[in-house]
Amino acid sequence: MSRPSPKLLHLTVQVPADIKGRRRSGSIVKVEEVGGRTEELLDRSAYLNINANWVNAKGAWLIHVVLVFMGKIIIDTIPGMTQQISWTLVNLIYLNLSYLMFHWVTGIPFDNELHGGAYDDLTLWEQIDDGAQYTPSKKWLFTAPILLFLASTHYTNYNPWLFAINLTALIVLAIIPKLPQLHRQRVRFLTGDASGVSTPVTPSFPKMDQNPLHAANPTDARFG
Amino acid sequence: MDSSTSVALEPLLSFLTFSFSKLESGFYRIPGSAVVARYVKSSHQNDPGRTILELILVIFAIRTLLQSRTRTDRSGKHFIKFSEKEIDELVDEWVPEPLVQPLSEWEQKDLSSVPIIAGPNGPKPKLLATGKIVTNLASFNFAGLAGNEKVKERALETLQKYGLGSCGPPGFYGTIDVHLDLERDIAEFLGTEASILYSQGFSTISSVIPAFCKRGDIIVADRSVNFAIQKGILISRSTVRWFDHNDLKSLEDTLISVEKERKKRKGPLTRRFIITEGIFERDGEMVDLPKLVELKLKYKYRLIMDESISFGTMGRTGRGLTELYNVPASQIDMLVGSVANGLCSAGGFCAGSAIVVDHQRINGTSFVFSASMPALLATSGSEAITFLRNNPSVLLNLQDNIRAIRAVLEKTEGITLLGHRASPIIHFCLRTQQQSFSVTQPTYDYEAEERILQDIVDDSIANRRAANAGETFTWTRDEKAAGVVKASVTRILSKRR
Repeated sequence: MSRPSPKLLHLTVQVPADIKGRRRSGSIVKVEEVGGRTEELLDRSAYLNINANWVNAKGAWLIHVVLVFMGKIIIDTIPGMTQQISWTLVNLIYLNLSYLMFHWVTGIPFDNELHGGAYDDLTLWEQIDDGAQYTPSKKWLFTAPILLFLASTHYTNYNPWLFAINLTALIVLAIIPKLPQLHRQRVRFLTGDASGVSTPVTPSFPKMDQNPLHAANPTDARFG
Repeated sequence: MDSSTSVALEPLLSFLTFSFSKLESGFYRIPGSAVVARYVKSSHQNDPGRTILELILVIFAIRTLLQSRTRTDRSGKHFIKFSEKEIDELVDEWVPEPLVQPLSEWEQKDLSSVPIIAGPNGPKPKLLATGKIVTNLASFNFAGLAGNEKVKERALETLQKYGLGSCGPPGFYGTIDVHLDLERDIAEFLGTEASILYSQGFSTISSVIPAFCKRGDIIVADRSVNFAIQKGILISRSTVRWFDHNDLKSLEDTLISVEKERKKRKGPLTRRFIITEGIFERDGEMVDLPKLVELKLKYKYRLIMDESISFGTMGRTGRGLTELYNVPASQIDMLVGSVANGLCSAGGFCAGSAIVVDHQRINGTSFVFSASMPALLATSGSEAITFLRNNPSVLLNLQDNIRAIRAVLEKTEGITLLGHRASPIIHFCLRTQQQSFSVTQPTYDYEAEERILQDIVDDSIANRRAANAGETFTWTRDEKAAGVVKASVTRILSKRR
C-alpha cells in the first residue's frame, strides 16, 4: 500500500531550451531541427551504428573512384556520345545517386529492435561518426564530387549551359547538404497548420484555473 | 595631371614587373612545374570566369580539408573546456559539502509531523507518539479489508505453507500456483479472458504501456494522468497528444486532428492508443466509460484504462467502472488495476484478452525483471475477491460514508471539494482568496497552502483523527470524523484570515 505523500502535487517538468517553434506560423519556408531530443540522443548511444560505420572502412573510399571510372567507360560505349554529354552524365548520375544515398533516405533498414527507431529522422550523412563534423570520411565524401567536377571541366570544354548545369548540380546536391550548418536541419515548405505537441484548449477549458492541482502542467514540455 | 601620376607610379610598376619575372623564372626551375603550368593552361581554356569559379571551389575544398574535427552529437553541448590553471583554481576553492543538507525548519516540522503507528495497520490504529487511537482517513482501505480476520487467517496458512519470499522473477522460478490462482480469480471476477500479475502497483502501468506502445505509435492521453502513466509514456517513446482533463469533446477533437495529420503526411497506419484512468488519482474525477468506448470504436483506437482507484470500489461488487456502467470488460483492451489499493494486498494486474496477457509475459518489463509477489499476498488478494463477491453490502457502506463526508465538507467554508461525488478518494483544496473578476492570473503560493493544510492535519490529529496533507480521505465510520475535519479547517482558516 502506498503512503500518501504531500509532495505528490508538485509535478514540475523542466522545459528544455531546445524545443523549437511549436507555435503556429504561416511561413512558406521553415527550417526545423530534427533528432535533437535527449531521449533520442540516449537511444542512439546504446549500440554501434553499423549502417553508418562502413564509410570508415578501407575500400569505401576507393569504391567512388572505381565506380566513376567504370561508369564513364560504360557511358562512353553508347554510340553517338560526345565527351561533353558523357562527362555531364557521369557527373549528374554520381551526384544524384550520392544524394539519394546520403541525404534523402533516412533511418536504418535493419536492426530496428536495437535502436528502436532512434535514427528514423536522420539521413546517412547525419549518422556518420555520430554527427561529428570534419571527420576523415566526411572530408573525403566532400572532396570526391568536387574532384570529379574539376576533372570533368578539365578534360572537356563545356558549353556555358552544360557548365552551369554541372556547377549547380554540384552545389545543390553535393555541397549544400554536406555543410555542417545544415546538420540535422530540415527545410519545410508550407507547413501551415501543423499540429503541435499540445492540443489547443477547448472553449470550455476554465481560464482561471480553480484547482491548483492543474497549475503545474507537465504535458507541454517533453513529449511528442 | 595624368602624366604626373604615371610618372609617380612608374617606379612601382617597374618594381612589380621585375618581381614577377623573377618569380616566373624561379617557378620554372622547380621540377614538375611545366606539367602544372600545362595543366592550368589547358584547364583555363581561355575562360577566366570559369577559372575563377573553379578556383573558388578549390579554395573551399582546401579549407574544408583543413578544418579540425568537431565533437559528436552525444557528447553534449554544454561541455566547457577549462584550462589547467582554471581547473587548479576550482580544485583549490572546493569545500566539501555534507552528504545530506540539513533540513530547513519547515522540512523538519514536516518530517516530525508524520504519524508513526504502533501495532498493525487498520481503520483505527494507535499512534506511537501519544498512544491515542485515531481513525485513519488517509489509507486506501476502501472495503475494510485491512484488518479482516479471514484474510489474516488465510495469509498465515499460506505463510506456513510457502514461506515468505518467492525468490525470483515470475519467468524464472518465481511463479507459484497461488499467483496463477489469483490471476485466474481476477480474470473471472472482471469477465476477461486472462490477467497477468505484477508485483508492484506503480510499475504495473508503466510496464504495460511500453509493452504495447513503441516509437512511432500514437498515444492520446488525458492531461491529468498520474505519474506512473507519464513515465510509461515517456519510456515508450511514442508520439503523445494530450486532451483536456476528462473532456470527451476535446478527446474527439484530438482524435480527428491526429487522423488529419496522418493523412497529410501520408504516413503509414500505426497503432493508436487512448490512455486514461477510471478514477483519476489526482483529483477524483470519473471518466464516462460508455462514451469513451463509443469513441474508441468509432476512430479505431485501443483503450488502456488504469483502474487503480476504481477497482475494488466501484460497481455493485467492486468490479470497477465496467460493472458500474455495465460495459463488458472485453471492450477495454488493457484493463490495468491495482491489487494494492482495491484488494488491500500488493501489486497490480493487467487484464485483457489472452493475446494481450501472453505478450506481457515476455515484454512487460516489470514482469520479466522484478521479483514476483510473496505467496501470502497473492492468497490475500484471492481471499479479498471472495469477500467482495460475497459481501456487496460493504460497498454500499462505502458509498454511504462518502456521501456523509462530502455532505459535511461541502458546507465548510474556505475549501472546495474536487472530483466525482461517488469517488472514494476525496480531494479538497483551499479556495483561493482572489475573486474570479480579477484580471491577473491568480498566483499559487504552494508553500503557504501546504503549511495551512499541514496545520489542518495537525489539528485533526490532535482531535483524534489522523489525516494527511496530501488531502486524501477514505472510508470512515461516521460523520463525526468529517465534522472534526470541518472544525479543524474552519479553525485554521479563521486564524489565517
